[in-house]
Amino acid sequence: MDPEDLLHLLDDQQARRLRVIENLLRGRKTVSTLYWGQRYDLLFLLGLAKHLDRGGLDATAQALVSQKLATWTPNEQPQLRLTAKGRQRRDQVPTYQPQTRALWPQLSLAVARQRLLLSVQVVSQYAHRTARYYPLTTDLATRQAVRQWFHQAKSPDLATRIFTALTASLTQLPEKTAQVLTAGFSGYQQPGLTNQQLAVDLHQTPWEIYLRHVDGVVRIAQDARQADHPLHALLAPAWQTAVTRSAQATLRAVTTTALTLDQVATQRQIKPSTVREHLLEAAIMLPVTALPYERLLPQATRQTLLAALPAQLDDWEYTALPADLQARFDFFTFRLLAIWCDKGGAGHAGTPND
Amino acid sequence: MLEPLTTSLQTVFGYSEFRAGQKAALTALEAGHDTLAVLPTGAGKTLIYQLYGYRHPGCVLIVSPLLALMTDQVNRMRLAGFRRVAAITSLTSYGERQSILAHLEQYQFLFLSPEMLAQPAMLARLGQLTLSLLVIDEAHCIVQWGPDFRPEYLLLGAIREKLGSPLTLMLTATADHATKGEIAKQLRTTPTVVTESLDRPNIFLDVEPVANDAAKRERLLALVTQLVFPGVIYFSSKQLATDMAQWLRDQTGLAVAAYHAGLSSEDRFKIQQQFMQGDLAVICATSAFGMGIDKNDVRYVIHYHLPADLGSYAQEMGRAGRDGQPSLAVLLYTPGDERLPLTLNQANRPDDATIQRFYAHPQAFSRNDPGIALLTFYLQHGISATAVQALFERREKERGHALAQMLAYVREPCCLRARWLAAFDETAPAHHEACCAPGKVPIDLTDLGLKRQAPTPPTPVAPDWQAQLRRLLVAD
Ligand SMILES: [Zn+2]
Repeated sequence: MDPEDLLHLLDDQQARRLRVIENLLRGRKTVSTLYWGQRYDLLFLLGLAKHLDRGGLDATAQALVSQKLATWTPNEQPQLRLTAKGRQRRDQVPTYQPQTRALWPQLSLAVARQRLLLSVQVVSQYAHRTARYYPLTTDLATRQAVRQWFHQAKSPDLATRIFTALTASLTQLPEKTAQVLTAGFSGYQQPGLTNQQLAVDLHQTPWEIYLRHVDGVVRIAQDARQADHPLHALLAPAWQTAVTRSAQATLRAVTTTALTLDQVATQRQIKPSTVREHLLEAAIMLPVTALPYERLLPQATRQTLLAALPAQLDDWEYTALPADLQARFDFFTFRLLAIWCDKGGAGHAGTPND
Repeated sequence: MLEPLTTSLQTVFGYSEFRAGQKAALTALEAGHDTLAVLPTGAGKTLIYQLYGYRHPGCVLIVSPLLALMTDQVNRMRLAGFRRVAAITSLTSYGERQSILAHLEQYQFLFLSPEMLAQPAMLARLGQLTLSLLVIDEAHCIVQWGPDFRPEYLLLGAIREKLGSPLTLMLTATADHATKGEIAKQLRTTPTVVTESLDRPNIFLDVEPVANDAAKRERLLALVTQLVFPGVIYFSSKQLATDMAQWLRDQTGLAVAAYHAGLSSEDRFKIQQQFMQGDLAVICATSAFGMGIDKNDVRYVIHYHLPADLGSYAQEMGRAGRDGQPSLAVLLYTPGDERLPLTLNQANRPDDATIQRFYAHPQAFSRNDPGIALLTFYLQHGISATAVQALFERREKERGHALAQMLAYVREPCCLRARWLAAFDETAPAHHEACCAPGKVPIDLTDLGLKRQAPTPPTPVAPDWQAQLRRLLVAD
């Protein structure tokens, strides 16, 4: 990631923790990372750079600081805030805004990408009647899935149907994004260009090219949710709910029974703290209707806490609450309230902002 | 009674004749002799075990230290029509490994990295197989102390015995007399040795001393601008390969790409296929990864750094001219370049005091340090501190010797070919005009027939995507 790419992930109003951005990119789904990812509106970054090293953005961030485009704010954890100059630069050089980014946390990108690229290669070579060629290097699961799919889908008009379907998907995207995706495909007499090469050709950063590429893959995978799409059987299984299976089970136990959280923990044979982490994860990643907020945050609790907390969500600090409130309400309740407010819940509840 | 070797060759590969060394090696193996085949790069070493595997029941087990290239090898074998092929390395996912292990009996060819083979569970599982042949690829790694030195290679002798001493084929492109002896000793066998001349008469050898780094860059640029493509340039680091690829692209307008371990497998695939297809004029590679390039018409190989020894140099420049057409190998040398191999040589080597302290308190050291990881390996395999010190000393002496030979090549005033081949106990043909140009002798690219005539083609611009997608998927 180039400094100018990081610039677009920062803000002049809100100081942002570099570690959160790093952990999002690396796909670390801790509650804290997810919560701040939601606050920064950066959840689409989740798992986009799984191979990024710890501290892998430090030098990039430092470059912004030494160009006086951002400053470190003195906090427990280093936070970055854009300077006026940084904000000006950010607004002057717009970056790519992926159309489908709201969907990204719901798609297993690695699965969808590998399956799409390999199936396009297989179908392209099949359409040109090439029997022997080097297949793209993918993992065994992808090879098996594509082989099985191809065995069932093979027909004289398969390539044409895929051409039509891909054209329909790519036409919805900006021209350059369609170019990036198409030029990156490998197939008959086309080795495919790397993101690095496309970046040079199109005068963009490799990161922007990557965002375009992902946007294209997600668009195609989204269209392939239709049962009559030629890639449906291959790509539909790559969609998942945005929360882990285990968190889903916890949420189900909470919503379908009258058990207390500690009783749910006993029933599910997990730690009480894990139950709470699962609920917070679900609260962040799912719509506000998915959780029984009325039960978890009774009106009296909300009113008491909101009366003691600052108006700005990002200024909330559990440890800054008066001791008696800390004794009455645990961190879970505090954080859940923040998520609820972030999702617009406070608008219905009569907060001090009204 | 087996069909004649040439009949199998015709059936499997469609060739009517063997290349030098292939038949001798196969004949020795079929007579039941362990065989050490020293054949130059491009001689078709893999064909030997492929054909043996085709002719004999059981599994051919190939041990190769080139982790990242194993997938390429497996792909290449599948492409050649061998379907029952698999590779297990530390890069293989757990699920894939389990799946391969569950069907182990079905594979005709199995590639393993040394560290996988050294695992007792793996060894036990392999013990249940009928091995028709054990292949030790890059066998010189048993004795070489380079950046890709794998201590597991030292265990190969013991491992081979545990597997019931199966018929063994040792392959290398480079080995002097001493190395051959050491390979045989380590593997506890007395092999039949099949050797072919390492000489590549169609490659013109050139050494060019330059004053400093800036002059080196300028000379590289001049060469790349004037020479016919395609070419390969070797660099000492990923970073340098990447930076120079971009610089050369900017300066020349040619299609230049970097190729090294830092690329994703998808990007490596693309670059490799672009090069094969002729979309790229020049590849900037690091040493280990250049070995994955398998293209016959490479016209030149340039070294931007000093190779660690003549053996690796011969392997790398041997990528040029596999089609037998006139080609060029250039070594650019700045005084002091030899410091880099020296540093690489010493970087991983713990000193005697560290060895003593480590053996006294192994727990006190971090395994993240490559030198400590190596010591841990030796300790776990019961090798004493004194033995380790002796081992390091011997290897360091060998490395020093190898580097001295490399420098003697660079400074050779008369015939580079004679100097190179002498290091491998070979006599070169008499020097002539199309042989070589030592440091003080200028080269004439026109005389060599390697000067580019046509103007530089522009880098292709990404065309209309709909037309491109149509070409990809819809046959005319
Ligand atoms: Zn000569």
